[in-house]
Amino acid sequence: MLQPRLATNRWLQLSAIGAIGFLAVWTSAALSGLTSRDFLPTPWDVLQRFMHLVREPFSGATLGMHLLSSLQRFGMGFGLAALVGVPLGLLMARFRWLDRLVTPAFEAVRFVAPIAWVPFAALWFGTGIGGPVLIIFMGAFPPVLINTYRGARQVDLKYIEAAQMLGASHWRAMTQVMLPATVPSIVAGLRISAGLGWQSLVGAELIVASSGVGYLMVKGQAAISTATVMSGMLAIGVVGVIIDAALRRVQLTIETRRGL
Amino acid sequence: MAIIRFEHVDRVFHQNGQDFTALKDINLEVKDREFVAIVGPSGCGKTTCMRMAAGLEHPTGGTVSVDGVVVRAPGPDRAVVFQQFALFPWKTVWDNVEFGLLSLGIAEAERRRRIEHYIGLMGLHGYERAYPHQLSGGMQQRVAIARAYVLDPKVLLMDEPFGALDAQTRVVMQEELVRLARQHPRTVLFITHAVEEAVYLADRIVVMSRRPGTLREILDVKSARQAERWDEIERIEDVMDQPTFVHLRTHVWKLLREQQAPGDTH
Amino acid sequence: MKVASGQPWWRALLTTALALAGALAAWQLLTATWGVISPARFPPPLEAYGALRQIVLDGYSNGRLHDHVLRSVVLVTMGFVVASAAGVALGLAMGASRVVEAVANPVFLLLRPIPPLAWIPLAIVWLGLGDAAKMMVIFMAAFVPSVINSYTGVRQIERPIFEAAAMLDARGVRYWREVLVPGALPSIFTGLRLSLQASWTTLVAAELVGAIAGLGTILNQAAQDIYPGMIVVGMASVALCGWIMTQGLGWIERRAMPWRVVH
Repeated sequence: MLQPRLATNRWLQLSAIGAIGFLAVWTSAALSGLTSRDFLPTPWDVLQRFMHLVREPFSGATLGMHLLSSLQRFGMGFGLAALVGVPLGLLMARFRWLDRLVTPAFEAVRFVAPIAWVPFAALWFGTGIGGPVLIIFMGAFPPVLINTYRGARQVDLKYIEAAQMLGASHWRAMTQVMLPATVPSIVAGLRISAGLGWQSLVGAELIVASSGVGYLMVKGQAAISTATVMSGMLAIGVVGVIIDAALRRVQLTIETRRGL
Repeated sequence: MAIIRFEHVDRVFHQNGQDFTALKDINLEVKDREFVAIVGPSGCGKTTCMRMAAGLEHPTGGTVSVDGVVVRAPGPDRAVVFQQFALFPWKTVWDNVEFGLLSLGIAEAERRRRIEHYIGLMGLHGYERAYPHQLSGGMQQRVAIARAYVLDPKVLLMDEPFGALDAQTRVVMQEELVRLARQHPRTVLFITHAVEEAVYLADRIVVMSRRPGTLREILDVKSARQAERWDEIERIEDVMDQPTFVHLRTHVWKLLREQQAPGDTH
Repeated sequence: MKVASGQPWWRALLTTALALAGALAAWQLLTATWGVISPARFPPPLEAYGALRQIVLDGYSNGRLHDHVLRSVVLVTMGFVVASAAGVALGLAMGASRVVEAVANPVFLLLRPIPPLAWIPLAIVWLGLGDAAKMMVIFMAAFVPSVINSYTGVRQIERPIFEAAAMLDARGVRYWREVLVPGALPSIFTGLRLSLQASWTTLVAAELVGAIAGLGTILNQAAQDIYPGMIVVGMASVALCGWIMTQGLGWIERRAMPWRVVH
């Protein structure tokens, strides 16, 4: 039988046990002396290192500045993916000839993992910003295109028919009926896209960057400073959550306004 | 001598810091092999009554007992037919019907005998290897009914079993259920909001008031049914022309009407 | 793109063949014939073909193509199987038991936002540049989607199914084997698909960063040698292998769930 929800206290107690248990195991392993503190720092060590990196530069910049570099690349890659993906998806849904033209090329390229574009990124852009942006774009583009296309194709026929019955012109039907009806799909696509783009960013920065959080982690790894690497992971995780939460907010607002 | 007994049953819900009384002081006895239908307006708590007999919910006051034993948890002795069928989509028709028999530890020969009997009775021949999604709603509900009857349960509990079916299928199923019920008499508690369905199927009809649900009136149908020999009439439309049928139907409608507050949208 | 059309099979084949031929022609024209795209940036078809011949017959980056493919696929499969088994088990347990869910949740919330590739530096610090590090990264990549989807798989089983199972007295192993797992199976497979994709992507990335053989090393070597033809071969191999594995999983999925309506 599906279990009923736990009472809040019980939930909190059990969660606390889980969290504390985890931290306890980690800390004892770190303090056991089996490895150096650099190799396996305690959770507290990691936090301290994190705070240190916020203030003091490492490999050329503070944590904040590295994050800014990363976000800049992310913004460009994601923005480009949205700018190209949304209109293209809508147009492909509207004009079958475009669909037939683009789809085979898209399907062929889609299965190439974004990271596999690294060699070309290095070849075409060196360590310039173009490299990571290309990889982020390749990660972020497919979900936007697919979701926009599907959303536009699946616009409930009855809305279009209602628009026609009410005498709307072609242009009005597209902009005032089809486009607004597709918005939820577009936003859903953007949300997935942001997640994948952020992940691709990390991969790109491990290889073709000279700044950014991924680069920070690589340098930390080279220095065998696990605390630095983990600080990077922490920063990436937190920013990723914030981006997703923001887009989720947008998604929910749109959905509630539509009564979905 | 299985009977269902509700003694001073109350059901109070706590929601958003407020108390809702769903059921108030329900006293009801379903006698052995009696077919009792509960009708009432939406939200009156009739389904809750059935679920308490099934052990899926519990009263906040009073007791619900089956065959003298207080109901604590669901089990195959109180077989349930759900409105949404609740067949396991990943099992064939045969396996679905067999599932409860395996829980009861029935031997294979006996299992086979029972399953074949009810599959035949419910017109499911040829569909034993089919999956639920391949069947229409009516067929699925037949499987659910077979699944319940095959357990040889003490009581049968049916929660608006034909509510998810279209009007024509519904009528066909009512006729079949009558045939089945007369052939295999059992103690049945049947929940519905369709008045005609209740009058057609039941020995007694319990009319409930709107929330907080109490028993408004209990009507005897059996004597009229036997006097006018409905069971010998083939078609449901002809039964519905019988004078007592009409009278009972109208009476129940009137009772339900009284429950409607002005501005009710259902 | 994915909207089914019910064309006769020869028509679909013809369209695909024409599309491929067209793409090939465009490729040749744009690179070699007209020089719109400089061959240094993107190789003409002949150069890519030459690279393909080389790697299949003579070998490149410490092995011939099938050596690399074998190595990568074996690693991914091992990591994927172990991670998914663990992930599905945990996910089902979290779905079935509120207690397990409450205890496991905090750690899970911590791990979840970390992108799979972000584990690479840590894996290298702890396990060096060998296969062990790759397995660790694949595990972290594949584990999370399996847990999440198995969990939601249990949660989305409709309430009447649970009630029917209780009414029919399904208990213990029977309950798990005949109600919980089959009910969650569609979601579990979604999770497996995501896990497989993540595993594959992560392995290629890990091989790019440091390895001796494997598809990722082809890309790495080709980048260093500035050999665009080989880069294309590498990318195509990655895409093709990924596609084949996904199809394989899909085949298993259809076999495992004969009751499913195929959409």
